[in-house]
Amino acid sequence: MNHARITRRRLLGAMGATSALALLPACKSRSEGGGGGAAGGGRIKIGLVVPQSGVYATVGNEMKRAWELWLERHGGKLAKLDVTTVVADEGESPQTGVPAIQKLIQSDQVDAIVGIISSAIALGAKDLVADAKKLMIVANAGAAKITAAKSPYIWRTSFTNAQIAAAMGKHLATQAGAGPVYAIAPDYAAGAEVIKGFKDAFEAGGGKLAGEAKPAFGKTQDYQPFLTGIQGSGAKATFCFFAGAEAIAFVKQYAQFGLSAQIPLYGSGFLTEGAAVLAAQGDAAAGIQTTLHYSSELDNPTNKDFVAAWKAKYKDPPAVYAVQMWDAASVLNRALATATALDGDSLAKAMSSVGTIDDSPRGPWSFDGQTPRQKIYLRKVEKRGDAYVNAVVTDLGETAPVY
Amino acid sequence: MTAQARRRLAWLAALAVLAVAPLVLGTYASATLSRILAFALFAASLDLLVGVTGLPSLGHGAYFGTGAYAAGWVAIHVTRSGPVTLVAAAVAGAVVAAIAGSVAVRARGVFFLMLTLAVGEIVEQIAQSWQSVTGGSDGLYSIPSTELAGISLGDVRWFCWYALGVFAAGMAVLRCIGGAPLGQTLRGIRDNEPRMRALGYRTYHYKLAAFVIAGAIAGVAGGLLAAQQRLVTPADLGFASSVPVLLAVIIGGEATWWGPCLGAAIVVILRDVLGPSLGGHGSLVLGVVFVAVVFLLPGGLARIRIGAGAGPARGTVR
Amino acid sequence: MPAWIDAHFISLLNGLAIGSLLFILAVGLSLIFGMMDVLNLAHGVLFLAGAYAAWWLAGASPSWPQFLAAVLVAGAAGALAGSGLSLLVERLARRSHLDQALLTLGLTLIAADALSAAFGDDVHTINPPPGLDGSALIFGKAYPVYRLALIGLGAVLAAAVHLVVERTSIGALIRATVADRHMVASVGVDERRVKLAVFAVGAALAAIAGVLGAPVYGARPGLDGTALLLALVVVVIGGLGSVRGALVGALVIGEIESLGRAVLSNLASFVLFGALALVLVLRPRGLFGAASGARS
Repeated sequence: MNHARITRRRLLGAMGATSALALLPACKSRSEGGGGGAAGGGRIKIGLVVPQSGVYATVGNEMKRAWELWLERHGGKLAKLDVTTVVADEGESPQTGVPAIQKLIQSDQVDAIVGIISSAIALGAKDLVADAKKLMIVANAGAAKITAAKSPYIWRTSFTNAQIAAAMGKHLATQAGAGPVYAIAPDYAAGAEVIKGFKDAFEAGGGKLAGEAKPAFGKTQDYQPFLTGIQGSGAKATFCFFAGAEAIAFVKQYAQFGLSAQIPLYGSGFLTEGAAVLAAQGDAAAGIQTTLHYSSELDNPTNKDFVAAWKAKYKDPPAVYAVQMWDAASVLNRALATATALDGDSLAKAMSSVGTIDDSPRGPWSFDGQTPRQKIYLRKVEKRGDAYVNAVVTDLGETAPVY
Repeated sequence: MTAQARRRLAWLAALAVLAVAPLVLGTYASATLSRILAFALFAASLDLLVGVTGLPSLGHGAYFGTGAYAAGWVAIHVTRSGPVTLVAAAVAGAVVAAIAGSVAVRARGVFFLMLTLAVGEIVEQIAQSWQSVTGGSDGLYSIPSTELAGISLGDVRWFCWYALGVFAAGMAVLRCIGGAPLGQTLRGIRDNEPRMRALGYRTYHYKLAAFVIAGAIAGVAGGLLAAQQRLVTPADLGFASSVPVLLAVIIGGEATWWGPCLGAAIVVILRDVLGPSLGGHGSLVLGVVFVAVVFLLPGGLARIRIGAGAGPARGTVR
Repeated sequence: MPAWIDAHFISLLNGLAIGSLLFILAVGLSLIFGMMDVLNLAHGVLFLAGAYAAWWLAGASPSWPQFLAAVLVAGAAGALAGSGLSLLVERLARRSHLDQALLTLGLTLIAADALSAAFGDDVHTINPPPGLDGSALIFGKAYPVYRLALIGLGAVLAAAVHLVVERTSIGALIRATVADRHMVASVGVDERRVKLAVFAVGAALAAIAGVLGAPVYGARPGLDGTALLLALVVVVIGGLGSVRGALVGALVIGEIESLGRAVLSNLASFVLFGALALVLVLRPRGLFGAASGARS
């Protein structure tokens, strides 16, 4: 028998060689991002962080599409710089999201980071990004602490969780006969802030909470125990916050267990946001009122253009996630037009002089402490044609970010 | 040169290579190396249970994660000094392991496996629920960078050397135990527990001791990871952490010294480094490698012997 | 009706529905474990495969033919996978039970990743087939009809499995193998065939449970871990190799997940895993598992 002798030494040598080859690309520690200045003919590398798996995958897909559409309509350039986009999957939790962002900064050497849906991931990554002195524009995550520390590198084109919830809290407090309200949201950073924001505003307006609950985030598929709790609490209305796949499951089960007929459902706008979400919810969503800083039915010229362009390419109407990402690209475009260089400090400085954004589909807004100060709308799910949309009921006025 | 002297030289050579590595590798690769070192220490601690004592644990992540939370909490609220956080991590890991182990080591074989699984899930659930201390499902974030005797280890390279030091110290402790009479007793228990009992050994106490030591060192490894990632989440405690480390031990080779370390390197590289380039299917390749090892190389990669093919010269059949 | 029951009877009912689903999932695991002492860690991924089969063949709003086709396909695929698993595990028969369990673990990793490669990483929701997608009023409270159907189906299946195991010769063979496999071999029966059959049927049931559970749980990555843990708890508490034990265990766990969560909220998870740990320490063979083997 004369087999090739797999000696331990040879095997180790082979493995060492393979791993060295695998790690070799990482050896290049030179900074590769963004040659040339902001004025004419350079490149910029942007890291796009969106969920491509888990409960928010459809939301992530929409944000990616918004980024691509913006670049397509602007020749693939941000302020005359050619854009290279590196997409990273934030997954569902900080365990996947933070290493993905770390890789973008250390391995892919991006110049700026855009995206992030989950508040938990944004919170986990903000120190990392600030220490590395990279600009990060958060295009969805709403946790207060993300911008509360006022790090010059962290900006946001979305909202704070409490900003949207407080708007509904204030509104419901003025509705005589709304009765005690039950608050329910998933058990993570965003959910807790939504409940607190709603509760503070609602109770300040004289309202009373019938109870609150926080189902496990990402793990709850059967909401029956919570729905039974709502029925037993004597609540006359329910206020909730769910998004993506969880919104679909909750709204459908809310109807299946007979609550939608007896206890009207109100929500933070994400509950019924997204064509895929509304389509999956079907008739169960009819009549639900929500507050949000955008609706595809908004009647201003910029939005009409935006919706038409979106529908032409993607058929279904856009949702707030697309608009936030669209605005992120637009804000970055303005900043790069005045930035002197592409490092984090120059970009941060340029961001602070961006001013009012008047060409956004959501209406004019401006930065207030690095988070938008914007109008919040009250919307109701109604059928237009053969699909459900979020019809705008009224404009609840401009609000500053609530912390 | 005797076999022992050769082995010692091999260890020193490996440490020397690792010590030089941060100077050559880029930022991301150095950060990955730190993660590999933390994970390797974790795997080596599990090997004390699986390979040396014959207790297959599918819930070792509980002690790793507990150590990580303890280190993170101390770093945020008490002090940034690295050694202090690691001591806290070791104590936390040991305490939880003592509580869990006092119950778990009464069971044998597959029942022990399921019990450790249950413990892992309970600990993960505690981390999810105890929001005020652990931050709930968001995890413990904003952990400040470590300091060693007043010097900040924020730079990736300096941290890598720190990790190497901790790793070397942990491995030295494990080797000492393995070589000492305690290690011999544990191996005896693995090979034939009834006989050990007949010889008068109180096997329950020895198994518990192994469990606690393994838990303490896993805690230290967790503390190291917390310092590297600057973030701890409940996923570091449960199934998602316990499965890869068991894979690492089996793939690398149980009851060998560098087997678990090799296995840990393979798991981290496949999952985190090569994962994106494999289209996110690092787990698939890992699964294939694992199944191949279980079928074809029963002692793990470290047991491949000189001679005709791979001989599964292992201990007695359990 | 007493006030407490009035407040909670929907939860009680839901517990029966979840319990029925868990029974279909776990009975295979119980018999496999009881017969071969093999901890089939791939049981969860079989459930997930069934859920994906439902989504793939039936889509978000299935018609009856589509739904039934999904059940059949899942059953067939499950049986095939079960047979394959049985053969692979058999090859390691002379090694320890731990190695066999680890083998199933490795195969789970591969299968789970292959499923997310094939079906994507996002969460899919599936509606019940027409006729079962409404709600019925029970004592004035609405409850989804589909879950009532699950209760009925679970009862029928439990009766069927009980009949097979208690009254047929195959059932006698299964019980004998669980009690003493070496004796069965020495009597002249090829125990490997019995094991293959049980593995195949158990796996098929797990996949079918996945299809039936799809309108409740959907199909998503990570569902296999949840399903496996629940099945393990059921099997350990109910007893290894016992169909009656699997039924009782499933109903208990179903009630903990529904009534328990309604009353105790987050503490319910502690009750679940605490019960698992307690039973493993005090009575490892479970409530209905006999010391040496099993009855039905």
